[in-house]
Amino acid sequence: MAVPGSFWRQPANRGLVSHCTHHHIVVFLLTFFSYSLLHASRRTFSNVKASISSQWTPSCLNSTAPELRPYELWNSSHLFSNAEEATLFLGTLDTIFLFSYAVGLFVSGIVGDRLNLRWVLSFGMCSSALVVFSFGTLTEWLHFYNKWFYCCLWVVNGLLQSTGWPCVVAVMGNWFGKAGRGFVFGLWSACASVGNILGAFLASCVLKYGYEYAFLVTASVQFAGGVIVFFGLLTSPKEVGLPELGADEDEVSVEEDANRPLMGNDDVDDDDRNYSIQATDNDNQPKAIGFFQACCLPGVVLYSLAYACLKLVNYSFFFWLPFYLSNNFGWKEAEADQLSIWYDVGGIIGGTVQGLISDVLQKRAPVLAVSLLFAVGSLFGYSRSPNSKPVNAVIMAITGFFIGGPSNMISSAISADLGRQDVVKGSSEALATVTGIVDGTGSIGAAVGQYLVSLIQENLGWMWVFYFFILMVRNHLFLKILVKAQFAIGGFWENLGTVTS
Amino acid sequence: LDLSNCSLHSVPPGLAEATAAIVLDLTENPLTTLPNGSFLGFIHLQSLLLPLPLECPGGSDAWQNVTADGSSRLCQGQRNPCNSSVELAWPCPENSACAPDGPGLVQCLCDNPFHGYKCLREGTFPMLLFSGILGTATVSLSLLLWGTQRRKAKTP
Repeated sequence: MAVPGSFWRQPANRGLVSHCTHHHIVVFLLTFFSYSLLHASRRTFSNVKASISSQWTPSCLNSTAPELRPYELWNSSHLFSNAEEATLFLGTLDTIFLFSYAVGLFVSGIVGDRLNLRWVLSFGMCSSALVVFSFGTLTEWLHFYNKWFYCCLWVVNGLLQSTGWPCVVAVMGNWFGKAGRGFVFGLWSACASVGNILGAFLASCVLKYGYEYAFLVTASVQFAGGVIVFFGLLTSPKEVGLPELGADEDEVSVEEDANRPLMGNDDVDDDDRNYSIQATDNDNQPKAIGFFQACCLPGVVLYSLAYACLKLVNYSFFFWLPFYLSNNFGWKEAEADQLSIWYDVGGIIGGTVQGLISDVLQKRAPVLAVSLLFAVGSLFGYSRSPNSKPVNAVIMAITGFFIGGPSNMISSAISADLGRQDVVKGSSEALATVTGIVDGTGSIGAAVGQYLVSLIQENLGWMWVFYFFILMVRNHLFLKILVKAQFAIGGFWENLGTVTS
Repeated sequence: LDLSNCSLHSVPPGLAEATAAIVLDLTENPLTTLPNGSFLGFIHLQSLLLPLPLECPGGSDAWQNVTADGSSRLCQGQRNPCNSSVELAWPCPENSACAPDGPGLVQCLCDNPFHGYKCLREGTFPMLLFSGILGTATVSLSLLLWGTQRRKAKTP
């Protein structure tokens, strides 16, 4: 398999320009929007946390005031006795979702090889839409509130949603080749952020009717998307008789590119060992290394932990931002949802701009380090931001810029950074295993972090949550320095093309 | 509703259902106390006759006219407790307003466009409009894409 270091022998733009048909455009848009819709429905849950929390708890008054009447209107829901317990449960749900998502990715990678990508994607989208509908809307219409039911549904949702990413990346790989697609993939990888923005927007528009309608809207739109994908997606040029994109591109490391868009701003990772099996219809049997052997490689553990720290912060913003805004400042949830969009906007711009800068400078490390230092500062600033919407939005965008950018770049660079070691060089299987470990640890760390966020918030308040984030970003920087010391690598500019939006 | 001389030692449990009563007579019953929520929901009660040892529910502020004569006490003209200072002590949560719930008792009911648990929901969701638009868009996009993309597809 290709040496991971020598990627960009030549950008295959020629392939892109000469073969760009309307099929390509449709595939781009369909995969873009199907992943956006999946992300949007995840985002809906984050956006309605405050409303769900008040639905599940009785009214809370200070003890001196007499009980509110009528009872059914104010106190009849006792799923949780107070808002803090409800928050903890919401954090637990996030964690459960992330874990089952990671498991599902592993399975989907294997399954996706054997089944038609179009079927898997539309099945995943439609069934996930049904699950989300039951979770949010049915339970409210039937007034059936049950913790175990919620947990089970969310586990199933995580498994079903995990079918999305490997499929869309594989389809894009089939149509746009596995090499030299810098611009196209850069643009495409904004789909997760666009999905966040879409989800936040939809939720905030409909929230006043009740949180169950926010779920209804995103679930229905996702279901519709699944149907449209089923009828309109061509999984590979072969299906319409177009030439399949060339064998000469196989040389490029698939995992490398796979990683690049894999990290949308706040996406969960994939164990892309399975992805690479799926997208590389490959000939050379690379020599695999065992899982534990891969773990023991120098830098892997540290890198994983560093990555986990950064992912934790990024994810926490994804899951908790709207809740924090409405909880801390008392803003209406719909407004909080709309404002939280700015974080994603900052992330998109950050990824693009920092990618461009590192392309120009041809060094990635300084850009990342500077950005993360600023991230610490902006987190601190954000934790102290005043109760004013414009100021908050600006600081939020800045924070997104400084955290989202490195997050994208680092995720894309994993295989580049770690792939220089001799054991891994030349073996895409090994590379995939290593990448899988790093991605997997990152995800699990992020998952654990969600629970920690709700725990810290319940016991110590939001300020400590921000200190926790700052600590994580600092840990991340520290660990990265350690990794670099271990490798004594000079620079990463060979991989400039891998930097994605 | 005339319950006088019924030898009641305590407020009968069935009384809670008689909330539409305008006049209630409890005289000549050996009642000792009136528990706090006995008159919950009696918003139409204008005239309440009680044996003398008992006080008017809600205190004298809740009634326009309290007279006592001989062996009974007459509480007349239930006042709207929302106008008095009781309501100011603990205002209703957001989107709800004070409403009377019996003599001296207040409840918080949702303001007009709000409804649902804790008055969180406003208005009704335009279900028909939404499903109409979504359905049409889905069908037309699916047909369009199927026609342009998949019709010539050979299953691999």
